[in-house]
Amino acid sequence: MTWRPVGLTRDVPAGRVMRAWVDGQDAVVWRSTRGVLSAWDNRCPHRGMALSHGFVRGEDLACLYHGWHYGAEGGVCSLIPSHPDLTPPDTIKTRAFQSAESDGVIWVRLEGSPDLAPPAIAPGLDPLRSFEIRAREGDIAHGAAAKPFEPAILSLLFNPIAHDRTLVTVLIDAQATSDQRKLASRWCEDVRREVEA
Amino acid sequence: MSLAYARNDWYVIADRNSLEQGPRRTRLLGDEIHVSGSYAHPVIKDASGRMLPTQIKFDHVWTTVGDRPRPLFDIPEGNEPGRRLVPCGMVRVKCSPLRAVENFLDIAHFPFVHTDVLGAEPYTEVEPYKVEIREQNDEVWATKVKFFQPLAAKSAAGGITTDYEYRVPAPTTAVLYKTCPPKPEAQDVITIFVQPRSETECDVWPWMALYDDDTPYADLVQFQQMIFLQDRSILENQRPIKLPLDPRMEIPTRSDLTSVAYRRWLKKRGAFYGALAETL
Repeated sequence: MTWRPVGLTRDVPAGRVMRAWVDGQDAVVWRSTRGVLSAWDNRCPHRGMALSHGFVRGEDLACLYHGWHYGAEGGVCSLIPSHPDLTPPDTIKTRAFQSAESDGVIWVRLEGSPDLAPPAIAPGLDPLRSFEIRAREGDIAHGAAAKPFEPAILSLLFNPIAHDRTLVTVLIDAQATSDQRKLASRWCEDVRREVEA
Repeated sequence: MSLAYARNDWYVIADRNSLEQGPRRTRLLGDEIHVSGSYAHPVIKDASGRMLPTQIKFDHVWTTVGDRPRPLFDIPEGNEPGRRLVPCGMVRVKCSPLRAVENFLDIAHFPFVHTDVLGAEPYTEVEPYKVEIREQNDEVWATKVKFFQPLAAKSAAGGITTDYEYRVPAPTTAVLYKTCPPKPEAQDVITIFVQPRSETECDVWPWMALYDDDTPYADLVQFQQMIFLQDRSILENQRPIKLPLDPRMEIPTRSDLTSVAYRRWLKKRGAFYGALAETL
């Protein structure tokens, strides 16, 4: 399976929970209090509730519905609040995916050999924005190429979310001035507006 | 097969309030239904113009689309003198009608979904309770259910341990009996009648029979609506949307005994409308 860029490191600080899409799979991406990043099937094994609505308690992600806890290490259920004295069987666990971070971008893939790192981004780039556009990847690439940002200091990463929705991650040359970053942000909005029109 | 079973149950499709607002269209079991007339004489037709049978019960208008409908169950407490009958309007939820009923039977979510109202951490423990299928009328009953609640009802002043009983007389109806704060020897009755618009969307009509002559009607309705809106945030985010009947698909624990019995009971009856009968 392919590594997919699902967001920026700075958008998921410790204690934050986010929903992501990876090859059609609904996923939850979250960071524990101590900073461990995890990506799981966005579904509590108990009653099917989306874990992306849950909350972080220390090194656990808790489901919003009944507060069941799942540990950052392995996604095993560690607490069932309706029976606080019970040690949950370790067969109760979330389906974990691979996650990695490089150059300020969070990458997730559903399966694959664990030692394969996410694709290297060209050195000297800063993450600028990660945002959704209601269009296909091909149409966005086409729209961006039709009115290229000058100078050529932007790189675009695509993650298809649904047949007509794409998550776009934009990286900018680390040497870019703050004015250039502002202009690049505005350029992103212009591209979105034109492609969605 | 699932539809054939569901067609022969009775369902709420209107209350007095909605009828007074003039003719309306709604959906039942995937098909359009036309509702007109008055509360005393409702006129219910299917999309082809066929008149459907109606009855008024529990302050709601009921209909069925089946050829051999099962009799509508009774809720005898509704006839007890001194009780105040409170229809609470309707809440639409994009979920399986069976998931809406199952959520109503669940107490373990109170501290997390109805925080500081029906429950609060650290009071999360669910004590053992009793669940049975009563053979004489083939209903699911849960009894001796207890839970600590910081604000159990509009008439409650502070935190109390509330006693509950649950009754499921039909796949899309659940009745709850709970401690009545001003009258400890009696029980308030809170019911949900779930109108299955389709297998994945429903209208929930709460109805209460309370010993409470003081709280203004609007406050009672607003309290129930608040609770159901909180539940909706859960119900619209469960996957799969239909209720899985295979226990391997959603792992239960001891506090889920009522839900386990409800799912088995649906399976035994073949009440599969809104359920996922097979394993994904």
